[in-house]
Amino acid sequence: MRLLIIEDYRPLRQSLTKGLQEAGFAVDTTGDGQEGLWYATSNDYDVIILDLMLPGMDGLTILKKLRAKGRKSHVLILTAKDTLQDRITGLDLGADDYLVKPFAFEELLARVRALLRRSYRQKNPHIKIKDLQIDLTTQKVRRGHEEIQLTPREYALLGYLAMRRGQTVSRTDIWEHVYEFKSTASSNVVDVYVGYLRKKIEQPGKAPLIHTVRGRGYTLGVQP
Amino acid sequence: MKPSLQIRLVVGVVSAVLLLLIVFSVGIYTVIRGALLRQFDASLVSIAQILAASVEVDGNEIELEFEAQQMPEFQDRNRPTYYQLWHLDGTVVAKSSLLDSSELPRLSGSLTKPDFRTIKGSGGRVERVAGFSFIPRLSNDDDRKPTEQQPLTLAVARDSTSVLSQLRFLQWLLFFASAAVTALSVLVAALTVRQGLRPLTAIADEIASIRENDLATRIGTEGVPGELLPIKDRLNDLLSRLEDAFKRERRFTADVAHELRTPLAGIRSTLEVTLTRIRDVNEYQASLSDCLTISKNMQRMMDNLLTLARLDARQITFRRVRIELAELVSSCWMSFSERALEREIIFENNVPLKMTYESDPEKLSMVMSNILDNAVEYTDRGGHIWLTAHQSRDSIEIIVSNTGCKLTSEEALQVFDCFWRGDASRANTGDHFGLGLGLVQRIVRALGGSVSAELQNGGIFAVRLTFPNKNMSK
Repeated sequence: MRLLIIEDYRPLRQSLTKGLQEAGFAVDTTGDGQEGLWYATSNDYDVIILDLMLPGMDGLTILKKLRAKGRKSHVLILTAKDTLQDRITGLDLGADDYLVKPFAFEELLARVRALLRRSYRQKNPHIKIKDLQIDLTTQKVRRGHEEIQLTPREYALLGYLAMRRGQTVSRTDIWEHVYEFKSTASSNVVDVYVGYLRKKIEQPGKAPLIHTVRGRGYTLGVQP
Repeated sequence: MKPSLQIRLVVGVVSAVLLLLIVFSVGIYTVIRGALLRQFDASLVSIAQILAASVEVDGNEIELEFEAQQMPEFQDRNRPTYYQLWHLDGTVVAKSSLLDSSELPRLSGSLTKPDFRTIKGSGGRVERVAGFSFIPRLSNDDDRKPTEQQPLTLAVARDSTSVLSQLRFLQWLLFFASAAVTALSVLVAALTVRQGLRPLTAIADEIASIRENDLATRIGTEGVPGELLPIKDRLNDLLSRLEDAFKRERRFTADVAHELRTPLAGIRSTLEVTLTRIRDVNEYQASLSDCLTISKNMQRMMDNLLTLARLDARQITFRRVRIELAELVSSCWMSFSERALEREIIFENNVPLKMTYESDPEKLSMVMSNILDNAVEYTDRGGHIWLTAHQSRDSIEIIVSNTGCKLTSEEALQVFDCFWRGDASRANTGDHFGLGLGLVQRIVRALGGSVSAELQNGGIFAVRLTFPNKNMSK
């Protein structure tokens, strides 16, 4: 799951980036409005966390331009502007959520998770594929009764595949939603990480859950 | 409290009506009374003349024609007319039988200009007497000429009670009519005045309905009478000024809240993210020092806000000390020299060494520090900051200039607005709250000076401080 943070206040931007990365998200950040718009239009972010008072270009303009270009990223406005009118304006311009500073980081996380579930039409925060259970809130993964320990990157990969379970997910999609812009890794790492994930998830004697679709990508789920 | 307009107007109108009525009534009464009395007198005189004409002197006999004595006026007992005729020596020649024993007064008018008098007659009646002396005519059938013509005196009296009662009736009529009109005028005036003052009441109601949160409303939008236009305009002016003041106040409060929310969010989220898991000492130290920096910045902002508030409330007292300007500038520069060195900024203090100025050293230092802080922050790497001062006969001028300004000249006018952060291309590092130059402006004003900012060719930004020279000494 890939996020973009457009926030000009450095301490807040740094702590948000750290917290969200630790929560398993791929996070891009910028403190400038125009750069933010460039990021937002050139990548397919799942959620954009947007401050309103920004140098370069203000948040509402970014939001307008983004929606005018037909971008479907979910936008969470994170601002110190707390009046009813500000909230209404923000939401009516196409934002999906509005959070006023100062806020609890836990709440921001929960809202980001909720926006992600909405992106993938996943109402239930517990995903179950055969005996594989993924709790999107606690990020706990179980196969049968056995709890599986995953690294944040592995969890991000599994989470993304699980959100799009049953569909064929291309390597590019995975690359775009699990890796950050500044990431130095090449797209080969997708195959490497899928390999790591298979080792942890697949169990002998059970039908495989991660399938390779030749030339197109991967599918998570039971092969018909 | 002054009596209400309504009462004043009603009293005024009613008094005027009353005065007019009195003048009018007295006038009418006088005219009618005069006419009635003249008419009465004329009829009295005409009777007297008829009577005088019927007196004949026949030798030494004086005769009153019988027809004259028998005129109906002399017979009516209810409204009697009397006459009495005297010789010149006062002996009564004849008098009406109705007079009985009473006498009429002898008056000394002439036939053409009789005398009149009002007397009390019998039975309490008021009677009017006309009297004159005349030469009686001689009997026609008497050829003898009297040796001399003896003038006679005639008085004719008539009961004037009916005329007086008519006049009394007129008095009462006028009195009651006036009273009624006055009473009616009170009613009409009250109604008219209330009606006329309705626009005032309407405006009062409009004003009363204005609350502090809807100062955008204006009164008298549906039109007011011309007399109230100035009041309406002044009130609306007042309302717009109030609205502006409230707006500024609200925006300032909102700005303060906004400026406090952001660093607070920074502290909170830094701490919360740090606490999500067990970390090593270095990470804790980094988070804590981040939070400490933010708190220090917040504290500086609070101090500035407090100074602003106290300046606005005039709670700050100023000292007066002779200040060596060059020295003050140098000591202010100390706290920025390191930052300037880091960014390779060259600073020139060109203030003449012996220039002194009498002012408050702490406040002037605050002004200088804020301007220098601003200058160091916005000067380009390797740029220049220079400070000059001149004095003239009536003012002292200190100019702080720096290179690397990216503002437009319109933006340069905004730098003194609180919370306005000029350079939009710079990210918010949390170190500057846009209060510095706003504070500078208010302190300088409180010190009796003025401050302006201008953009010069080549991206040079100059802040010009001007103080009156009256307390300057060399």
